[in-house]
Amino acid sequence: MQRHIIHTLLVVFIAVAAGLTGCSKSSDDHLKIGIAGVRTGTDGSIGGAMINGSIIAVDEWNAKGGVLGKKVELVIRDDEGKPDKAVSVARELVSNGVAAVIGHFNSGCTIPSSPIYNEAKILQITPGSTNPKVTEQGFPALFRIIGRDDQQGTIAAKFMREKLGLTKIAVLHDKTAYGEGFANEVKKTFLANGGQVVVFDGIPRTELDFRANIAVIKSSGAQALLWGGMYSQSGPLYLQLRQAGLDIPFVSGNGTIDPNFLDAVGASASNIYITFGPDYENLPAAQPFIKKYRSLYGKEGAYSVYGYDAANVLLEAIQAAGSADAAKVAAVLREKTFNTVLGPVGFDAKGDLKQSNDILWTVKDSKFVPAP
Amino acid sequence: MSPPPKAKDGGTERNEWNPWRNLKHIFFNPKKKLRSFRNQPLEKDIKPTVSLPPPDIILGGLVRGSIYGLVALGYTMVYGILGMINFAHGEIFMIGMFTCVFALGLLSTLLSTTTLVNLLLATLVAMIFSAAFGYANERIAYRRLRKAHILAPLTSAIGLSIILQNFVFLTVSKDNISFPRVYSDQLNKVAFTLGGVHFNYLQFTILGTSLVLMAALFFFIHRTRLGIAMRGTAQDQLMASLVGIPVNKIIALTFVLGSSLAAVAGVMVSMYQSVAGWNSGYIWGLKAFTAAVLGGIGNIPGAVLGGLIIGLTEDITCYYFGSNWRNSVVFLILMIVLIIRPRGLLGERVADKV
Repeated sequence: MQRHIIHTLLVVFIAVAAGLTGCSKSSDDHLKIGIAGVRTGTDGSIGGAMINGSIIAVDEWNAKGGVLGKKVELVIRDDEGKPDKAVSVARELVSNGVAAVIGHFNSGCTIPSSPIYNEAKILQITPGSTNPKVTEQGFPALFRIIGRDDQQGTIAAKFMREKLGLTKIAVLHDKTAYGEGFANEVKKTFLANGGQVVVFDGIPRTELDFRANIAVIKSSGAQALLWGGMYSQSGPLYLQLRQAGLDIPFVSGNGTIDPNFLDAVGASASNIYITFGPDYENLPAAQPFIKKYRSLYGKEGAYSVYGYDAANVLLEAIQAAGSADAAKVAAVLREKTFNTVLGPVGFDAKGDLKQSNDILWTVKDSKFVPAP
Repeated sequence: MSPPPKAKDGGTERNEWNPWRNLKHIFFNPKKKLRSFRNQPLEKDIKPTVSLPPPDIILGGLVRGSIYGLVALGYTMVYGILGMINFAHGEIFMIGMFTCVFALGLLSTLLSTTTLVNLLLATLVAMIFSAAFGYANERIAYRRLRKAHILAPLTSAIGLSIILQNFVFLTVSKDNISFPRVYSDQLNKVAFTLGGVHFNYLQFTILGTSLVLMAALFFFIHRTRLGIAMRGTAQDQLMASLVGIPVNKIIALTFVLGSSLAAVAGVMVSMYQSVAGWNSGYIWGLKAFTAAVLGGIGNIPGAVLGGLIIGLTEDITCYYFGSNWRNSVVFLILMIVLIIRPRGLLGERVADKV
């Protein structure tokens, strides 16, 4: 009996070992590309739309015959917007043998995961992480296809200081790499332009009752509120601000651009300003993508087009480099100018966009529209 | 366009919260009195003034505190009777939130009106639904473990909490859902303005409802036959059953009562913060549990007192030091109280079971 059990165990063990080696063997006819982003959790809606954009791009390439004569195989992993989860996702993708990674979405996830990809010599391109630190780490094969928070923060701060002519603002953030980073950039620029920041404070990401912070803002006499954070908190914060009788401008960064925010604030929302990329919905180049996205997934999210562009730029660079080797692809990315839905795109030595294309948006009749 | 005028003192340096300078300011300069560090520059020529927190801070703290108290009642009643911590109580609160939002949607289409009567009906539906969940929790997860080691029902409760959170997350909504504005706007009207500060009807509604419910529960437990039976069960289950008290039914009643109170709190919170989220139960539940421990777990006035203390501490801390310090100060106070009075402020029994 004892012997029998040992034999069975042995057989099972051998079978499992064989299965594992089978898995780790890299397939030669496929090029593995990882997508790491957030599909569930409080950022699930905005992040999932980004991943869908990348999927469409890859499907288009596969329909055309793939890259370097190989079909592209996607390995999609969800980091739930959590830094610790992002690190384990990064390790998983590395051991999975992906050639390059599109992601992550949150700056707080991209920063801790990037050393892992860097060490494994895997190229990383993020469509959504705007914290300056992402590219300031000096990794040779890390790129971002979106403006930085210092560029974004400068736009927001200058708008409040020069266009609206304000002298005192309140700044709140959600204590994440993105939110606090953006808030700090706005504060820096606003102070440098001779303004005053009368409130600067952080709020935990899970908090949804802002009455105390709003009372502080009210007693401080701030003329505008800048919010560095994500859409799940932006909506309640805006509403509670108005309920307290404060009709000051509500200024926020690209984390607020999501349909969920529009739902929360309702049709009567006004005096909202958000910094974000260009208005792609009216660009002729974007029409085929928009049509395709809506037929597959419904209304696109704000980052869908960034996910789409990131995948296209990456695959084009691999094709041009003639290999998926990170160093070669990175060299191509730095040299070439790519035609994307959002216009021609080039990368500087750090891996940032040569030219940020952020503009100011506002909310009108439950829609995001470019500010006049 | 001409550049706007420069602000007089073009910088934020001195307005920022600097713990060391401010502590020095409080403790080593007895001539100056405590005041708000946030908004006034620290300069010699400015006369120090004691700045009390403005009334909206106090009211906001009381509102938060009364909700903590209402939820804490559920923790404290279950602990009083079973000696276990029902960690799934926060999730019952969250289910109350979601039920109310969906019931409101349904009622508005069925009755095609948007009056406050709908809101009351939806609250009732939420109470019944949450009470059913609370009862089911007790039957499924706790009753069989009543005689087991104390860690078994505790683990079961934590597991149940995770299951319920993920159930709502996966099947109902991954994003926060908005509370219908037609209803909340009717209560969010300004009741009166005092010194430029707006007070909403909603804040008074929450405060009033919570206090009335707490008083009703206190009356129920101390003045009715069922309440006496509950207290009897809490003291000694075996003796209670010997004198003819249906112990199982009384325990089920405890869960039903606590859950319906949590549902009312959930409805009010979703209206107050204007959204309901799958993780709201965890956030408010944790603070409510802290309130129950602070006030003395197992003690009903203690839960209310603990809730109000935590709510006020949070908001006053936010006013003087910023919301970054809010949780640190709350838990610091909890630690100090527990070191000096391990059974909590009003607690009678030592919380040695968990």
